[in-house]
Amino acid sequence: MARYGMAIDTKRCVGCNACTLACKQANNVPDGVFWSRVLTDGGDMPDTPASKDGHLSMKYYPMGCQHCENPACVKVCPVGATYKDPETGVVRQDYDKCIGCRMCMSACPYSGVRSFNWEDPKYSLGHAVGDADTPEHQKHTVEKCTFCYQRISKGETPSCMDLCPARARHWGDLDDPESDVSKAIAGRSYEHLLEEKGTQPSVYYLV
Amino acid sequence: MTNFDNVGVIDDDFAPAAAPARGKAREAAGAKVAVKGGKGLTIGIGVSAVVAVIGIVLWAMQLSGGMIQTAMRNLDSWGLYITMFMFFVGLSAGGLIISSVPKAFGIKGFGGISKVAVMTSIAATVGAIGFVMVDLGQPGRVWELFAYSNLGSPLMWDIIVLATYLILSCVYLWAQVQNEKGKVSHAALRVISVVALVCAVLVHSVTAWIFGLQQSHEMWHTALLAPWFVSSALVCGTGLVIVAVAALRASGYLKVDQANLVKLSKLLAVFLLVDLYFFGCDLLTEAFPAGSGAEVVAMLVSGPLAPFFWGEVVLSIVAVVLCVVPQLRTTPLMVVAGILAVAAIFCKRVQLLVGGFQIANIDMPAVMTQFTVTNWEGNLAQAYQGLVYWPTPLEFGVTLGVVALSFLVLFLGLKFLPLKPQDQE
Repeated sequence: MARYGMAIDTKRCVGCNACTLACKQANNVPDGVFWSRVLTDGGDMPDTPASKDGHLSMKYYPMGCQHCENPACVKVCPVGATYKDPETGVVRQDYDKCIGCRMCMSACPYSGVRSFNWEDPKYSLGHAVGDADTPEHQKHTVEKCTFCYQRISKGETPSCMDLCPARARHWGDLDDPESDVSKAIAGRSYEHLLEEKGTQPSVYYLV
Repeated sequence: MTNFDNVGVIDDDFAPAAAPARGKAREAAGAKVAVKGGKGLTIGIGVSAVVAVIGIVLWAMQLSGGMIQTAMRNLDSWGLYITMFMFFVGLSAGGLIISSVPKAFGIKGFGGISKVAVMTSIAATVGAIGFVMVDLGQPGRVWELFAYSNLGSPLMWDIIVLATYLILSCVYLWAQVQNEKGKVSHAALRVISVVALVCAVLVHSVTAWIFGLQQSHEMWHTALLAPWFVSSALVCGTGLVIVAVAALRASGYLKVDQANLVKLSKLLAVFLLVDLYFFGCDLLTEAFPAGSGAEVVAMLVSGPLAPFFWGEVVLSIVAVVLCVVPQLRTTPLMVVAGILAVAAIFCKRVQLLVGGFQIANIDMPAVMTQFTVTNWEGNLAQAYQGLVYWPTPLEFGVTLGVVALSFLVLFLGLKFLPLKPQDQE
């Protein structure tokens, strides 16, 4: 029984979006869909700073599903298509079961981490890419980051970890004090997104 | 005191030739006037059947071409269909409650309108279920709701309660018909009406909980939402019954004492005031701490949803005035009040649904695609500048089809079921 989580060091993240692309590639994510994105905490456009009293400030929040301990989406799914995997603590989505009611999208406080395939999935490339065992994307169903379940179930790490040039991401079992993620969090101050919603995310933003 | 003499004339001097003119109000609401329950009703059935079929064709287009043809997107993932679902669940209330309350509490009712009122409930419930169906991405998997039910989901509760409500409304209608034939006792009818009443209150509460139990949308997350849904449902349900009864009387389908119509409109005024009171309580509670709730109030009062906010307020107040000033309680003006009340609650539904999506919890900019939000070409701030969501023609078409389906059910009921009061048959 693991409780997988991720720590993202906002002091190290340079906003390069390598994780965004690594995720898209590894999971063969269709065109127009992003499971992982990099949010800019600054101006109105990505990669622009905010200005206050002549001082500029900018920060990045790489964001995907927060894999909450108390997930709002799991409670509301009428058919149990989205569920918390007891082995890993990962919030998963069963495409074959999803009826496309989008109740989970509405219930999730983290705007935009869940994505609905509003049409037949389209791909820029003529062939599938990424991991062979990633489930096929389906029209009119909801999908989202799985912490690369196909990888972590084999003891590997999520794809967004692999290419991060700033080494801003840390991964592992939150219950294991010796894991990378636990060590990264230890002694650092961190924040959760929308902590006040009570969802207890498994993604820690080190600040 | 209201002068009933002048309005009574309409009944006494009823002339079929004048019916089309009087039916204008109904036509405006998308219906065809039913003249004497004969030819007009048949035309109504034909027209609504054709529109419903067109709606089904458009729905098939939506499913084959993809829901990208709607204006719904990831950040505004529900739209007109769920707005109409809330609206129709509300419409279904009035009929059943107006019909069952007098029976349940053993008080004097509203004359012979009981069965017609329940028929409007049945028609509206069918519409509500239809709107959930057209919103689903995978309607072919709807059987899973029964095979893999997650009984913790408010959506599952709603499906159970809505189905029960539909069956119960039919049973209640049947019991009333049997009762008149002397086959079902008054006691049994009274028990059924109590159960139906409880179910009616539940169906609105549960529909409210689909929204009100979500901590993700500040605007929805309030304990007031369930009682508020009940009061809104009473408003638009009563409005609908007034319009339906006045139209059926004008067409000669049934006779109703003016006093009963007046009673209904007084009741409408009370329901409207309760609804406005809840509205005021909610706005004050949101705005007073001057935290993020103030943003919700600003969005309603002066932001993108202002037309629907002020629409609801003004329509409600005008309807109240029409209902409480005795000189204004003429049949045409009571019908106007009914229509205004229904329109006011529609504005409320739009505010709730679109308003819920109008304020994003996390609005930091990131990569945007055609799936992110309806107006995705600019940045996030621009997407939220106006209304974040506005339906596409396809959505309007499918919606019209489901509305027509409701009318079809209502018209078929009027034509083939013994809904006229017993003594008038």
